[in-house]
Amino acid sequence: MTDAITVRNLKKEFKAYSSRSGLKGAFRDLLTRNYKIVPAVNNISFQVKQGEMVGYIGENGAGKSTTIKMLTGILTPTSGEVIVNGMNPHKDREKFVRTIGVVFGQRSQLWWDIAVQESFRLLKKVYKVTDEQYDSHMSHVIKTLDIEPLLDKPVRKLSLGQRMRCELAAALIHNPPLLFLDEPTIGLDVLVKLKIREFLKEINDKYNTTILLTTHDLSDIEALCERVVMLDEGKIIYDGALKSLKEKWGEGKEIEFQFLEDVTLNDLNRITASSEVKWEKDEKKAIFTAFAEDNDELISLLIAKVVADLKVKDIDIKETSTEEIIRNIYDRGIS
Amino acid sequence: MFYIAIFFQYVAQYMKTRMQYRADLFVEIFSDLLFQAVNLIFILVVFGHTNLLGGWTRDEIIFIYGFFLVPYALFSSFFNIWNFNERYIVKGELDRILTRPIHSLFQIVLERMELESLFGAVTGIAVMIYAGNNLGLGFSWTDPFLFFLFVIGGMLVYGGIFVLIACISFWADARTSIMPMMYNIGNYGRYPVDIYNSVIRFVLTWVLPFAFVGVYPASYFLGKEEWFLYSFLTPVIGIVFFSISIVTWNSGVKRYRGAGN
Ligand SMILES: Nc1ncnc2c1ncn2[C@@H]1O[C@H](COP(=O)(O)OP(=O)(O)OP(=O)(O)O)[C@@H](O)[C@H]1O
Ligand SMILES: [Mg+2]
Repeated sequence: MTDAITVRNLKKEFKAYSSRSGLKGAFRDLLTRNYKIVPAVNNISFQVKQGEMVGYIGENGAGKSTTIKMLTGILTPTSGEVIVNGMNPHKDREKFVRTIGVVFGQRSQLWWDIAVQESFRLLKKVYKVTDEQYDSHMSHVIKTLDIEPLLDKPVRKLSLGQRMRCELAAALIHNPPLLFLDEPTIGLDVLVKLKIREFLKEINDKYNTTILLTTHDLSDIEALCERVVMLDEGKIIYDGALKSLKEKWGEGKEIEFQFLEDVTLNDLNRITASSEVKWEKDEKKAIFTAFAEDNDELISLLIAKVVADLKVKDIDIKETSTEEIIRNIYDRGIS
Repeated sequence: MFYIAIFFQYVAQYMKTRMQYRADLFVEIFSDLLFQAVNLIFILVVFGHTNLLGGWTRDEIIFIYGFFLVPYALFSSFFNIWNFNERYIVKGELDRILTRPIHSLFQIVLERMELESLFGAVTGIAVMIYAGNNLGLGFSWTDPFLFFLFVIGGMLVYGGIFVLIACISFWADARTSIMPMMYNIGNYGRYPVDIYNSVIRFVLTWVLPFAFVGVYPASYFLGKEEWFLYSFLTPVIGIVFFSISIVTWNSGVKRYRGAGN
């Protein structure tokens, strides 16, 4: 299978200027400016196969957008190699961008003042899409994203969710084999999010479209991506299946108890003294949470002990969520 | 070919959008024409009592001004890049441009065009006809072609200089006030350059060749043979400056840093 994206030792540095304090400092700034070199993306390497859906995650400022901008030819790398769809994005920019679609959730790709369908029409010409291609492909896109009623409105009059759906449709006018999505679900309500996820799955199925997606909403990743690449301070700290991330880092289970009687943490610690359990109390809701190793026997024993001694109103067993796993990795590092 | 087709697509879209705001359009055209009229009156007043300025008559100076208006109108219609730094660099709009399969500068020209400014050209031609009549200028069949050539050359000179200035944003991240200053310097090109001292004349000819937007090409139609060489240099200078600006632009785009969100 061919690789849609190959990245080798990719690096991007930004100069961050700092100004000195005081009048004297200001004068010295005139002559020589102090700057620090900030490596936004620091020597990363990875490959993405055609048809893969990859989640690209990391904290704020980790370098996700910077990577995407290099992969799409917007920024020139400081060093390293990028091959996307068999081309170097910065060399044949105009030819290259015909083979990709890009959506930046933070910023509109459409023309602000003109109606959505006019934008589409212009883009159709820009990408040299024939009428047949457009009709067969876009009528489906428009229907699935449910944007028919928005087509005659100017972009500036759309709500965020409406705009995002149009942006997505616009990025797909030329039916590119590779789609970059930088926070496509930022600020959207659950229904729109679901609609967008469904849609992405569908085009991935139908056209084998490769999708690289950044998001802070891990449920997006869980719904769409089998593979995640995790970035921290410009370096890749994890690249692999979402599942094995969970297995490796899912630290046991949480069992939530609610009781019919007054219970203290001391009671619980006494009752379960023989097993390795940590208890926590949520004061407001009177929920007690037991943190235990992910071991079925241990957990059933624990529940048996508690139920034998106390009157229980509700029990809820939870796996550590991906959210928490990632939180933990950010907090403590991968090692 | 593709670029020409795309150009007309954008023009059509532009017209369509402007028609929707018809009131605005009329106000703009009106204020544009008013501005031209004020400018013309200014010229008439200033040169009204000096019939000769460094060997140029009042009508000749008015003719040069009329000529200048034509390439300038084309320039203002298609090179609205005076706020390039704020709009495209600081706000990061260039990101969007760079993900589209058309040359980035051409896209900006297309996006920012203001076709109303073309009315300036009509005024300019009217002024030339008026002054030319007073001067009793002859007319030959080659004139329209040369006029076209010189106008395009002048527009490219203007465009080239302003693109070069916009390019500064790729290298320096500070805001500069060069742009408005350049608009002022540009105005000097519409007066005969031999009224200035030789340093300014040199600058206006070879460094910031604004003289090629007004006085040099207009001299041809005024029959000032001593300037003919410069007149015919107009398209050459235009192409040279514009090419330099494109090369600079292309290497500048490689240095684009984007806006951190
Ligand atoms: N144009 C720029 N100039 C200077 N520094 C920049 C620029 N763009 C990004 N940076 C820096 O590079 C680092 C990575 O930024 P980037 O936008 O790639 O992060 P991100 O992972 O997309 O974060 P977020 O989740 O907040 O979108 C940050 O430290 C940021 O300050
Ligand atoms: Mg980002």
